[in-house]
Amino acid sequence: MKTNINRRNFIKIGSAAGGGLMLAFLLPEAGCNSNSNSAAAAACDPLQPSAYLKIESTGDITICFARQEMGQGVNTSLPMIVAEELDADWNKVKTEIMSFDAKIERADKPAFGGYFTTGGSQSVITDWNEMRRVGAAAKAMLVKAAADKWKIPESQCSTANGAVTNKNNNASLSYGELVCDAIKLPVPKDVKLKDPKDFTLVGKALPKKNLKTILTGNAKYGIDVKVPGMVYAVVERCPVLGGRVKSVDDSACKQVNGFVKTIQFEGTSAPMNLHAGVAVIASNVWSAMKARNVLKVVWDEGNKNHESTDELFAKFESRSKQKPANEIYTKGDAAKANNPVGNMLESAYAAPFLAHGTMEPVNMVASVKKDSCEVWGGSQWPEFPVPEIAKELGIDAKNIKINLAYIGGGFGRRLFYDYILEAVKIAKQHEAPVKVIWDRVDDIRNDAYRPANYHRMKASWSNDGKMLTWQHHVLSTSVNVMLEGPETKNPAEILGGASSDFWYDVPNVHTAYSHVDFNLNRGWVRAVEICMNVFPIESFIDEVALKMKKDPLQFRLDLLSTMPKRTDQGLNQDPKRVAAVLELAAEKIGYSSPRQANHYIGLATHAFAFCPSYAAHAIEIEMVGPKKFRIIKVIAAVDCGIVVNPDGMKNQIEGGLAFALSQALKGEITVKNSRVEQDSFFNYNPLRFNEMPDIEVHYIQSNETPGGIGEVGLPTVAPALCNALAAAGSRPYRLPIKKDGFEWV
Amino acid sequence: MAAYTLQINDKQYKIEADPKMPLLWAIRDLAGLTGTKYGCGIAQCGACTVHLNGTPVRSCSIPVSAAATQKITTIEGLSEDNSHPVQQAWIAEQVPQCGYCQSGQIMTATALLKKNPKPTDKDIDVAMQGNICRCGTYVRIRKAVHTAAEIMSKS
Repeated sequence: MKTNINRRNFIKIGSAAGGGLMLAFLLPEAGCNSNSNSAAAAACDPLQPSAYLKIESTGDITICFARQEMGQGVNTSLPMIVAEELDADWNKVKTEIMSFDAKIERADKPAFGGYFTTGGSQSVITDWNEMRRVGAAAKAMLVKAAADKWKIPESQCSTANGAVTNKNNNASLSYGELVCDAIKLPVPKDVKLKDPKDFTLVGKALPKKNLKTILTGNAKYGIDVKVPGMVYAVVERCPVLGGRVKSVDDSACKQVNGFVKTIQFEGTSAPMNLHAGVAVIASNVWSAMKARNVLKVVWDEGNKNHESTDELFAKFESRSKQKPANEIYTKGDAAKANNPVGNMLESAYAAPFLAHGTMEPVNMVASVKKDSCEVWGGSQWPEFPVPEIAKELGIDAKNIKINLAYIGGGFGRRLFYDYILEAVKIAKQHEAPVKVIWDRVDDIRNDAYRPANYHRMKASWSNDGKMLTWQHHVLSTSVNVMLEGPETKNPAEILGGASSDFWYDVPNVHTAYSHVDFNLNRGWVRAVEICMNVFPIESFIDEVALKMKKDPLQFRLDLLSTMPKRTDQGLNQDPKRVAAVLELAAEKIGYSSPRQANHYIGLATHAFAFCPSYAAHAIEIEMVGPKKFRIIKVIAAVDCGIVVNPDGMKNQIEGGLAFALSQALKGEITVKNSRVEQDSFFNYNPLRFNEMPDIEVHYIQSNETPGGIGEVGLPTVAPALCNALAAAGSRPYRLPIKKDGFEWV
Repeated sequence: MAAYTLQINDKQYKIEADPKMPLLWAIRDLAGLTGTKYGCGIAQCGACTVHLNGTPVRSCSIPVSAAATQKITTIEGLSEDNSHPVQQAWIAEQVPQCGYCQSGQIMTATALLKKNPKPTDKDIDVAMQGNICRCGTYVRIRKAVHTAAEIMSKS
């Protein structure tokens, strides 16, 4: 029946470069090519116009995706886009993650990293066009096959639910029945995409495709990986970044049943910070942990071993009053902005280092052979470690194989590859594969932390109540300095930090940045520097409004109404959308209605710069004591353009509230003697079940291109809460608010 | 080292382990059932929750020797086909995001419903506050526990 089995491995390329459509394609033996159960029963090779799609003659449809699943729902949302344009029967669609050895080639360039990179809320944004074209191209081929069979023009065919129908006589052929003819056709060079108003799947709340394996305990995360012959390792790391091993005494370890040996390795710096360590290898993880307890290591901590966050914030404060190191954004008369006239207000806001605290502590399995290396586990950016692994081992990058697993919570932690490099450095010194398990203490003490940050804000206005100047001096321990080294030309965070995080029409704006060095590993934590900047911006605009005795809602709306759309610095930022989500949140919480005694509402809104998506929060609290409050209700209003899966979107916004409230109320990493002081969930305690308030999620129906959704639900939570507290009489200036004595019930 | 026969989900697993090895690692590494997750190792997060004779316990903090003679139920023992009312409710409310903590959440909720077939919000708060979810699925877990109670009352 099957003519040529090898054809299965040869996937068609849409068109040559130089215009027209080019669908993603794969090199042979890679990606979305696992044999489906019914492959043997197939009458011919499957239709595979792209790396992302396979249709069997049996009717089985597999839609593949390359972004990593870590709870954000890409295994459902990305395939939905293909299925939409394909007019597939969603119930029959199987979704499958591609293995990383799939060498995807696409005409477009990834936003950052590669086509497997999962971060920055970019998955749907970057794959939207490609996924649509894949579905549309396959549909066009199936329609052509049917039209040829019926000897009618393609225009007399329609498609729905995985079948082509002859409009003249209602005859119908399923996609499966058409595959053997469709595979003989060329992949079209140009395809017609649907008008969004004709979408039938996109915009529908659909159940997640991967739930059933999760609910039976069968989903395989990195920590569940088993490789034949593997041993286990736990690692004692130098408590100070940049330190080294002075001496190791593992004599007591030898008394522990199952102990194998210890392995030393050195740390690294830019682009990736890795603590030096001593790995304890054993036949099972418990033996490794027990042996580690009796391991004695003397460290040379280096000379950066006396830093503390108390000193860092003192440095921030004094530095914030001096001339900033880097100019970021200037509008109008900067000199005037620096010397405001008229009425003015000045405030400082601060937020601490934060750990990701994923439920699955990081882990990785690595196996190193003479000329090759293989690793197994979760990674949000599998392309990133490859050059450094190659350098570390002195092997060709193409002999490095990365096997990806489900990620038990990412939030940016697994964008950084310190834990992968560490596993490789250990496995390099052992003949069998090594599974490196981080315990919770390791995970919290050796994270890539969100930088501590500090903001000096100044604003001035005329006697008749017109805003004149806005100044924002951002200070932090830069992630870019860590990644690129101290000589980086761009120390401020992605997209110039606060330059893009401002949407109010003020004639003179001055934003600047100063990096303050600190010996602690840094990284991106969900909603990154936008979270850092929106807290002071949306707090301070509220503070200015109150100072001017204006209503904070109307004050914002007025300043948004005259603001032009921002397209500088690669932005596509629409103040009308910033205003629309704010108004929606205010309306849904009943901002203008009478309130019960001791109830207060706080608002905050923002544009999530690089998505671009927009969200506002309205939070109602009840004061039950001086500085003691209860959250009554939370409203989130979101505009992320076309919403692919509204239920997935709601999931992200609900979850974003929990994540952001953890930070606003109690999340804090402190450092003494260059050591992180927190070590578990009792002192780095995320929001608990009983602390989760009710949340309503509303969204704006839109035909704008989809924006990201994983992060936009976070930045306005803390300022909305703080603005409610300010309305009640006492404004928090630093996070977490427990530092200033606020309590919640 | 000592030999134990663990009774997990009505099956027997013969293992050899250090008597002090936490039940969690025995279940995961020796019995090979990886649905039960490691989260903190000190009973702070609930990811490792299993049932011991029907009572929810943190398997990271119980030595294997103490569990050897008892009836252990893990997430794999609930049902293989998601037919258990709690799994059904978790599907109905589309609870999980990353899913890593959900085995523990489900085992805690199942034990609660066995003891208290019609829990109030307050009851759910008390039962669930030891289980952390960093993805923030709490709102849906609450709904799902009520939904499961309804499904169970009908069957």
